This record gives sequence, C-alpha cells and structure tokens, in this order.
Amino acid sequence: MKRGWLPLGLMTALILALGAYTEARHSTFLGKENLNSLLLEAMPLILVSMGQASALLVGGFDISVAALMTMCVVTASFTMTDSTSGIVLLPGALALVAVGLATGVFNALLIRIFRLPSIVATLGTLSVLEGASLLLRSYPQGAINTDVTSTLTSSVSFIPLAFVGVVVLAALADGWLYRTRSGLALRAVGLDATSSRRLGMSTGMTVLLAFVVCSVMASIAGFYLAAEVQVGSPIIGNQALESIAAAVLGGASLAGGKGSFFGTMLAALFLTEIDNVLPLFQQPTEYADMTIGVLILLALVLYQAPELVARVRSARQRPGRVAATEVEA
Amino acid sequence: MSIPGPVSPDVLSVRTVSKAFGAVQALREVSVDCRAGEIHALVGENGSGKSTLLGIASGSLAPDEGTVEIGGSVLRRHSPAAARRLGVGIAYQDYSHVLGLTVAENVYLAVPADARPPYGQMHDWAKETLAGFTLDLPVAAPIGSLSLAERQLLEVAKALLTQPKVLLLDEPTTALGPDAVGQLHALVAERARAGVGVVYVSHRLPEVLAVADRVTVLRDGVGQGTFDAASVSEEALVALMIGRPLKVAFPERRAPAEEPEVVLAVTGLHGERFGPVDLVVRKGEILGIAGAEGNGQVQLLRALAGVERAAGSATCGGAELDLRSPVGPLRGGVVLLSGDRRGEALFPVLSVRANATVQVLRRLSRAGVVGRSRERRAIAELVQRLRVRMGSAEQPVQSLSGGNQQKVSLIRPFLRGDVKVILADEPTQGVDVGARFDIYEALRAKTDEGLAALVKSSDPLELAGLCDRVVVMSRGRIVEEIPRDELGERRIVEAIVGSRTRADVGAPA
Repeated sequence: MKRGWLPLGLMTALILALGAYTEARHSTFLGKENLNSLLLEAMPLILVSMGQASALLVGGFDISVAALMTMCVVTASFTMTDSTSGIVLLPGALALVAVGLATGVFNALLIRIFRLPSIVATLGTLSVLEGASLLLRSYPQGAINTDVTSTLTSSVSFIPLAFVGVVVLAALADGWLYRTRSGLALRAVGLDATSSRRLGMSTGMTVLLAFVVCSVMASIAGFYLAAEVQVGSPIIGNQALESIAAAVLGGASLAGGKGSFFGTMLAALFLTEIDNVLPLFQQPTEYADMTIGVLILLALVLYQAPELVARVRSARQRPGRVAATEVEA
Repeated sequence: MSIPGPVSPDVLSVRTVSKAFGAVQALREVSVDCRAGEIHALVGENGSGKSTLLGIASGSLAPDEGTVEIGGSVLRRHSPAAARRLGVGIAYQDYSHVLGLTVAENVYLAVPADARPPYGQMHDWAKETLAGFTLDLPVAAPIGSLSLAERQLLEVAKALLTQPKVLLLDEPTTALGPDAVGQLHALVAERARAGVGVVYVSHRLPEVLAVADRVTVLRDGVGQGTFDAASVSEEALVALMIGRPLKVAFPERRAPAEEPEVVLAVTGLHGERFGPVDLVVRKGEILGIAGAEGNGQVQLLRALAGVERAAGSATCGGAELDLRSPVGPLRGGVVLLSGDRRGEALFPVLSVRANATVQVLRRLSRAGVVGRSRERRAIAELVQRLRVRMGSAEQPVQSLSGGNQQKVSLIRPFLRGDVKVILADEPTQGVDVGARFDIYEALRAKTDEGLAALVKSSDPLELAGLCDRVVVMSRGRIVEEIPRDELGERRIVEAIVGSRTRADVGAPA
C-alpha cells in the first residue's frame, strides 16, 4: 500500500515543478486565464485515461478509445446542433453515452466470447469507428450547440466545475478500489483470473464492466473534445496511446491488478501541462512526445524498482531458504 | 471405518460422468458418492482421472455426460461459483491464491460475502480466523512470501472457510512434512465428525488410508470400485490401480559393461521444489525418474538443464556444469527435451528442417550463410531413422502429430556431436502408440552409443520397460532407487504410493 503512493507523489511533484519552472520564466503561466484553459484542455485526456485505467486494471488495453471519442464528436454534430435547444438536447447527449455503451459491450464480447486479446479486439473496433466517423463527416462540418459546450466548461474563478467533479470521482474511485470488497475483487481478477474464478468470482462480468466503464468514460471525454472543437471533425481523437501513458504513469501495471484513478488523473494533467508549456518556450511539439516517452520509461523503472530489488534478493537466497523450510520440515 | 446403523445422506453424488480432452478420454462413466461425515479417498495413478473428477465436482470443468448432485441439488451451471453456492469447498492442488495480494486479502476473498467482516477489520479478522486452524501466518504479507507448505495449509483453510457440505482435497499434502500432515488430518477428521463429507484425492496410500472411511479406485478414467478402507489392503488397491493392458513394445536393453564410467554426477542439488538430490548416471544408461506429479521431478530436470534456479553441484564427463543459464549445460553436453513441446521445445510455425537444425546452424553454414541443401542432407538420414512421418521437411512442425513433433525435437541431440546426456521430460506425452516405440528406440540407440539419459515420466509402465534403473522422488527428494532386476510397473507404483513411510528415512546416498 505504501508503494501505491509513489506515482501520486511523483506526479504531484512533477506538475508543481514544471509549473514553478515555467512561472519563473513566463509570469503569464499562472494567470487565471491560462490555468483555466489548461484544466479544460486536460479534461478529455483525464476522462479517457481514467477509463483506460479501468481496462488496465483487468489486464486489458483499449486502443479504440480515440476513435470512439471522434465518433462521439461526430455524433454530437448531428444530435446536438445549434438548431436544437433546451430539453431536446438531452436525448442528443444520451446518444453519445449510448455510442460509448455499445462500443464497450462490443469490445467486451470480442474479448470474452471470442477470446481475442484486448489489443487486437480494440484495434479492430478502432478501425470500424474511424471508418464510420469518416462516412458520417468526410470533412469537419456541423456546428455543435454552444449552450452545451458553455455549460460543460463553466468555471468558478479559474477552476472548471467539471474538473472538481473528476477530482472527486477519482478520489472516490480509488477509495472504492482499495477500501472495499468489490474493489478488491476487481484487482484480484486483474492479478489472477484463474484463481478468482476458482474463488467463485464472475470474472467475465468484471471484464465486461471494466471495458464498458472505459468506453463510457471515453464517450464523456468526447463531450469535452466536442466542447473544444465545436464542430463535427472526423479526425480529432488521438488520445489512445496518451491515455495508456497516463494510466501507467499514474501507477497502473500493464499486467493488470494495479492502478490508481487519482494517479491517472494527475498524470493526465501533467501530460497536458507539458503540451501547454512547450509553446511558451518556443519549443516544437515533437519534444512533448519525446519527453513523454522518456518519462514513461523512467516511471516504469522507478515504480518497479522495489520489486526488482526484492526479486534479486530472494533469487540469491531462495534455494537455501527453501531447502531449509520445505524439505526438512 | 464402515458406518454402522442408518447410512448418512449423500452430500456429493457424481453419476456416470464422462469427460474427454481432445482424443484422450479422461473419464468414462465414473460414479462416486460421498456421504455426510465420511472421508472418501480417491486413488489412482497419475493421469487416471482423479483431478478431472474433482474439477467436474467443483464446477471448474463441464462433464460431457453425467450429472453432479451436491447436497441433493443438481449442479446445472458448471461454474465454480455455482458449485460453491451448493456447498462445495475445494482445495486445489495448484492452489487458488491470488499471488499479488496479501494473505488477509486472500482469506477475505475466499469466504462467502455474508461471512466477511467490514473491510477495515480484515487484518484482525484474518489473524483470528487462521488461528482457528492453528495457522500463524503474517496476514499483511503477500502470498508470495509464504513457504509452499504454508500455502498448501492456507488453501485447505480457505476451502473450509466456505462452510462446505462437501470438502474436496486434491493432493493436499504434497508440500507437507509428517507433522503438518498429522495436523491437517486431525483438522479434516474433526470436520468430518461435524458432518462434512470429504473427498480426499491422494496418491499416498498409507497416508490416505489412515483417515479414510471408504476408497474409490480409478484407472485410466474408469472406476474400479469402492471399498471399505478398513477391509481393503494396500496391496489389493495397488493391484487395482495398475494393470493397464500392455500396448507398447520396448527396445532391447544391452547387457551393461562392468561398472561403466559415470557421465553425470549430481551432488547436493537443491532448488525451489526439490532437493537436496544426489545421483549418478552412467555411460549407456537410461535412468528413470518416477513419482507422483508435483514432487520435484520436473524441477530437478530443468535445474540440470539450467532453466530453473538451483544450488549445488553437477558434473558431466568430469567437468563442472555451470547451471546458471541453459548455455552452461548445453556447452557441457547436456540437452533437455522439454515436456512443453509447443511452448519450449519447438518453434511451432517453423519448418521441420528449421526446427531440427536450429542448434547446429554454424556447422551447416559457410561464411555465415546457411546452406539449405546441407541442412536437408544433414537431417534426411535421421528423419528416416526416427521414422518421422511428414509430407516434406518444409512443412511447419505444428502440422505434425504429437509423436512426430517429439521426434523432430529428438533429431537435435542426434545432430549435435557433443551431447553426453539427454534429459527427457515426459518424452511420450500426447504421443500415439505407434510413435512411442520409435522414440524409445531412438533414446536407446543414443545411449548404446555411449550417452546417458535421464527420463522423467508419470507412466510407471513406460519407466519399467524403458529404463535401466529408476529413482522415485517424493517431496523433492529421492526416496527409493529400484535396480534393473527389480524393475516392474507394480514395484514402481508401490514405491510411489508408499513413499511416505520411506520419506522419513531420508534419501539414499
């Protein structure tokens, strides 16, 4: 449990350090306006990364999330147009969530029933969704209702209300994951599906739920992407790898069973911060990709360091210890 | 003991269950029942279907035919969850622990939802609960830090925590010493007196007969009858367990030279699940390794090949082997034929030719370029000699039958000129009868050339027919050595099932 705090601490430190460094050079960085736009910019990645963390927890990947977000933006350009208003917008908004639900169930079926590796299954889904988006909108068109987007982005001072929402959600989700029986069961399924099944847990349902949560979170991320671009763009979503990066930086294990929603939220915020400050230093965005890549590698090594040390130690002692306790017993 | 008076109701009743895995019929119309308060032993050789039967009774496996009734209700959905709800508790041979979680978390997950304390009190609760089984374990530690014996006892405790009507135990003592076995048996007997039915799978006859009321024998997936434990002798049970009709011939053994030189000498070798082991294999000899599954035989072979960590010493042809990686033994002339053909021994999608020559490519190449015709010439004779049945040397090895795949992996030691010892892990598993003889003959041909072979097999009949000498392993140690003139299926099975008493005496030098 102690080790679980490492990603949270590291991400917080990095966010603050990068912020302080930037502020020292460009006093505009901590301006209310910039902070507000930074937090809003981070919303899609935070939401989709938290969804991704849930897929990673059961030992899977979902790389269809990017295409799903695009699909949601495109859908919004049909169902939430400028000409609709008021209560009529509600079914339009629900349509986006429905797209997310359907995608999640579809992915889960491919993985559970047809036994496809999640990376392959979601790659297929990604292509299908990308093609469908381009069929519906072959170029960016269809303005998205500004009433909705301004509601989504409403802020108190510089803090978007939605950001407060995800912080609370992430904290609650972590509390659930590490302080309740069902959270424990989810981690158990991610760590060892065979033993979990033997203990009477419904592993299939757990995986289904994890992937549905992932897709629904991606579709909510789609709302924020729509608020950002405000037009039905068929080529907008590209957060698949970044969402996995955020989940991993936030403490998720690629093997399943470990992760933190709060850490993921912080990591997504940090990744967005990098994107946000690079132009201030007149650096090309390519550096952002490289920085993120190097950071992920460093973080993985750092997070695994205690395990590696333990493994080296026990490997050195093991034969003697076992001989003493197992066989002589 | 036979139960006088009215017979208790059945808590488990398995009726005419059949189950096949591919072409292998694991169970054929087997019926077993277990009464409340009874300890019912289920015995049989390796591969006789004991674990399959438990898998079906616990919902892990769906039977092809037949029914399972638990506490009077038919098990309709074949899932472990459904069986648990009806009252089945099971201790798996390979455990149901979630390795990344702590002891307390594992215990917590094992009990039914209504028996769980609030999440925050998990540690104290787990400590108390385990104390009820006289288990003093570090509840906050990860499962991985427990010894194998502790994991095994915890597995049984977890099964009992579900308050089962019927308790299934699958080889629950493989990692336990005599004291712990006694402790476990006392616990099981106490639960039986409280009305729980116990099905106890074990290959250790003296151990299981000491506590069982009735015994059912399985052989080759067929029930051989159920007996009162008090009125049946160990000898009679062994006779029922063995006696599979002989379908395979074995190659002729050559008369040994006077005291041939030692090729492989192992001293004090010990690793995660075995040891310390001392043994020697002589020139021209095939040494068999017998034992019930999971008593360290595989680990011993793998350690000698450098693929499993071990300490101690082994020499081959007088030179010390470097066991830290597979490279050392290979350089020293020791090759492993892994029992996991698809996963370890072969490259399934590569051709027969590529699989056969992969270890000797340098010799078959000139200036770094592998000559295909040289490769084909090199294997052509061996393909014929081993009678590998295939369309062409270019077809992927996975398209061959299991037996022919094994023959392809056997070509490798034939191609290398420097092999001194062949370690074969289940060389004929999944191999059809026809191909078995070819494999035996190939091994014998190699040893006649002066090599030594170490063959691990779960089939006593095979060991009796093929080997010059057999050692029997139990709980990681060699507990008995059977010389050539005593070899026989019955002798080996007796050594395996009786190995508990002899295990206390210790390993022969």
